[in-house]
Amino acid sequence: MSALIKKLFGVLAQKPWDPDQAVTDNVHQGKTFNISNQMSVVIIIFGVSTVIFSLIFMGYLYSIPPEQDTNLILKTNLLWINTLVLIFVTFFFNKIGSDLNRNLIQKIKKNLIIVGGLSYVFLFLQVVLWFQLMNNGHFVSTNTYFSSFYFFTALHGIHLLGGLFFWGKISSRVLKLNENEIVNEKKNIDALSVYWLFLLIVWLAFFLMMYIYNDAVIAWCISLIS
Amino acid sequence: MSEDYYDSNTSYKAQSSETISSGSGSVSDIDYVKPKEVPDQELYHGHSFITKYIFCQDAKVIGVQYTLTAVFTGIIGLILSWMMRMQLGFPELFPVLTSETYYQFVTMHGMIMVVYLLTALFLGGFGNYLIPLMVGARDMVFPYVNMVSYWMFFVAVLVLMASFFVPGGPTGAGWTLYPPQTLLEGTPGSGIGIMLMLISLALFVIGFTMGGLNYVITILQARTRGMTLMRMPLTVWGIFTATILALLAFPALFVGAIMMSLDKLLGTSFFMPTIIQAGEMLEYGGGSPILFQHLFWFFGHPEVYIVALPAFGIVSDLISVHARKNIFGYRMMVWAIVAIGAISFFVWAHHMYVSGMSPWFGFFFATTTLIIAIPTAMKVYNWVLTLWKGNIRMNVVMLFCLGFLITFVNGGITGLFLGNVAVDVPLSDTYFVIAHFHMVMGIAPVLVILGAIYHWFPLVTGRFLDEKLGKWHFWITFLGSYSIYFPMHYLGFIGVPRRYFEMYDSPYMTSAVGMNQFISLAAFIVGAAQFIFLFNIIKSLKIGKLADKNPWKANSLEWYTPNVPPVHGNWGDKLPVVHRWPYDYNVPGAKEDFIPQTTPPSEVKDTGVEKT
Repeated sequence: MSALIKKLFGVLAQKPWDPDQAVTDNVHQGKTFNISNQMSVVIIIFGVSTVIFSLIFMGYLYSIPPEQDTNLILKTNLLWINTLVLIFVTFFFNKIGSDLNRNLIQKIKKNLIIVGGLSYVFLFLQVVLWFQLMNNGHFVSTNTYFSSFYFFTALHGIHLLGGLFFWGKISSRVLKLNENEIVNEKKNIDALSVYWLFLLIVWLAFFLMMYIYNDAVIAWCISLIS
Repeated sequence: MSEDYYDSNTSYKAQSSETISSGSGSVSDIDYVKPKEVPDQELYHGHSFITKYIFCQDAKVIGVQYTLTAVFTGIIGLILSWMMRMQLGFPELFPVLTSETYYQFVTMHGMIMVVYLLTALFLGGFGNYLIPLMVGARDMVFPYVNMVSYWMFFVAVLVLMASFFVPGGPTGAGWTLYPPQTLLEGTPGSGIGIMLMLISLALFVIGFTMGGLNYVITILQARTRGMTLMRMPLTVWGIFTATILALLAFPALFVGAIMMSLDKLLGTSFFMPTIIQAGEMLEYGGGSPILFQHLFWFFGHPEVYIVALPAFGIVSDLISVHARKNIFGYRMMVWAIVAIGAISFFVWAHHMYVSGMSPWFGFFFATTTLIIAIPTAMKVYNWVLTLWKGNIRMNVVMLFCLGFLITFVNGGITGLFLGNVAVDVPLSDTYFVIAHFHMVMGIAPVLVILGAIYHWFPLVTGRFLDEKLGKWHFWITFLGSYSIYFPMHYLGFIGVPRRYFEMYDSPYMTSAVGMNQFISLAAFIVGAAQFIFLFNIIKSLKIGKLADKNPWKANSLEWYTPNVPPVHGNWGDKLPVVHRWPYDYNVPGAKEDFIPQTTPPSEVKDTGVEKT
């Protein structure tokens, strides 16, 4: 981040009319960052989605009803299992990244399938969790706590589905490639990997917030301060 | 990570190969440009009418499509404003307009003008047409996504317009769509109308995000060789910063729209408190209407700058070209654009001084609002100083630029009034506010748009717009706008409230009746003057004076395409190579009063450089 800020201020300090500056500028290649266009897209979606999720978090904190049993959702084991599934997905993506550098084509193909499979498992379990909650009488309109929960998880799921769409496109190509051709898909796989990491970070932030922001923890914090 | 191809065996030289001695005694080429490191962009060229002009991937065509669609919605918005003014000025002459339809027209006028006209026109229209040309790219980096972006916008417009034809009509809750009023029965269009509005907004945001990521990545990653960020024209800087703002601000509108839809459809209570409607307790409870206000204005205030920043950038370039001077304080101008963009995220609650939020919030937001005036004022000084001792061409483009300057200063100063809590509270919800924001983000940016169309029309069509008609158009628009909005300040001071269908027998109405009639007449005339402009466009397209290549003798790249109007791919076989910034006008020692960005140093080596 500090490098980015330094770069930004470095750019803004340039004097484009100055002949000395022109010497440097004339060798400029036209790219600001040494990343692929695919990665750029992921970073921008990262930014936009972060704002969306942050605003939902804020809405959640703003409107949580008093005396809400915020531990209720955490008592259902599925939320924990889902978190673990998402961590596994990221782990396998990380493996794909290192396998790409070593050109281990078969492992890459196998792990790509695992990644997709686990992501679908995550979505399936998430739907099961929704049905569990609804069977217990906790609907989207029950109160603002559950409204936020359903809204957040639905939006996260839509992001995941979007990722799975591109995973499907890329995997269908990768599965047909040999060792020499896999390098052509490296940029796409890298971008996909970062996207899934982002989805995990958002999920963990959500999970922690649900865990931390409850009456017992707040009471404990207050006791520490006082 | 290095993913680019690099061919060290090939090197590219610009037109000249003259050499000079460097300080270390070695010999180097002053026109030297590094070899190209990235492969050329592959484009899909349309072969049928449908792929060339309808589902087209050429950013220029998409820009024109955006412009035409936005202008169409703008004309609808204009007609709505005529009807509103008819009611306010001459209520007895227009009995067809009920209070419900009046509020619906107010709402649709506001939303259409802010989102579907100004945002779409500046970013979708000018952004698509100018970005690839000005940075020396063949097209946007993701042309297909760019095309989808336009069609999302088109569908969003269709959905919005459809709300005029559904039972209950469009929403009449005011363009701010504040809950709980928006969703309650009794508010016009609280059924299907509001849902269509929310769906349309969500579609708009999704479509814009697709376009926005194209603009940002094209500007950051796909410029031509030699085009550093600080060699980009201010138009590109303005559109770039506004796009970043929009990418970060529109999600707030998106979240708000989805949450409100859920409140309406699924009975959630994100924004709905415990409430009684017509004596009946509704099932809502626990939601916060103020939360929506925060979300709306977290989008709504940056939205002002999403419109203003491209206007700032464009007007800077127009002034520089038509005053034949380099832009005064280029770096300051860039800093100001970036600073305004950053600070604009910390001022939103100055729209909420009367919402009942903590007074400390008011103090904070009043301070940030006054701070944002500093970079804005810097820009005004720099525009004036660019004009100072310039070789000013008093053509239609310059007239619109000057009109913008005066109008923007005017609207900006009243903004300082409203930024202060103590002044804002009594003026809140009066016509003073209407006058302020129409001056600063209605008329001022529209004057830039009109000036820009007169400026770039020869590039897009190969013909000039008619100057004589243009001058009529300018003077009627400019003087007429002042006739509309200047008196509104007075109406605000005497306390005339906004959003009132009828003033009944209120005491201040005795002095306001005549003024309202005058304003309405001026509004009819200004609106009609825009049809002179449309006539001018149609006439000039057919029999307008043919324009030479680069008729304004400008420096920026868009005027240096091999074909005018530029064709798909923009640049023929070779991309241009940039050797300088775009503001070398009247450089001492130069043969002509402009040096294009593509001119290598060897061709102008005896010229001095004007410091700024």
